Amino acid sequence: MKKVKMYTLSYCPWCMKTKEFFRENKIPFEFVDYDLVSEEEQEKIQDEIQKLGGDGGFPFVIIDRSVIQGYNPEEYAKALGLKK
Amino acid sequence: MSIEARKQALKYLFSQVAEPLGYRLTTNDWLLNFCLEQEAKNEEKLGIPYCPCQMLTRDREHDMKLVCPCIPFHRKHYDAMKRCWCGLFVHKDVVDESKLRQIPAKEV
Repeated sequence: MKKVKMYTLSYCPWCMKTKEFFRENKIPFEFVDYDLVSEEEQEKIQDEIQKLGGDGGFPFVIIDRSVIQGYNPEEYAKALGLKK
Repeated sequence: MSIEARKQALKYLFSQVAEPLGYRLTTNDWLLNFCLEQEAKNEEKLGIPYCPCQMLTRDREHDMKLVCPCIPFHRKHYDAMKRCWCGLFVHKDVVDESKLRQIPAKEV
């Protein structure tokens, strides 16, 4: 099983859709709602996202070594090796 | 002012700002209502209707570029996607907005 981690906002429509995608496909995932963590934690997340090439748009999804910024079910499925 | 009343006010204000920039509000009612509600809540909490889909950093120069409608600060990126990052605004050329996707800025 591939490891799925995502950074999201608790009030972002596309973050909700992204979580829905993984739940509907029964893919376990970890997520952190950026707006709900401490300022110190937010700074760490900013650094990590920047290092991975992100520019601040949520959702920010990491599937093993694949980084996918934005709501993109086709790319999630590809990275997960899901059959269409 | 209630959140609902502020949503309606923001809807009017945003459409007036976006129209001369070549954009219109989305026809996706769910997305329209959701984004306006989050922006009205951001305004109530933070004093400013920030974008509900992008990272606020507490760096004023950075964050002010995320005040909705943020189209002028991300023109090249949004023109390439034919929408803003949230999808609240869609380029006036677009007929079927359901086909539009979020594309990271570095890929446009």
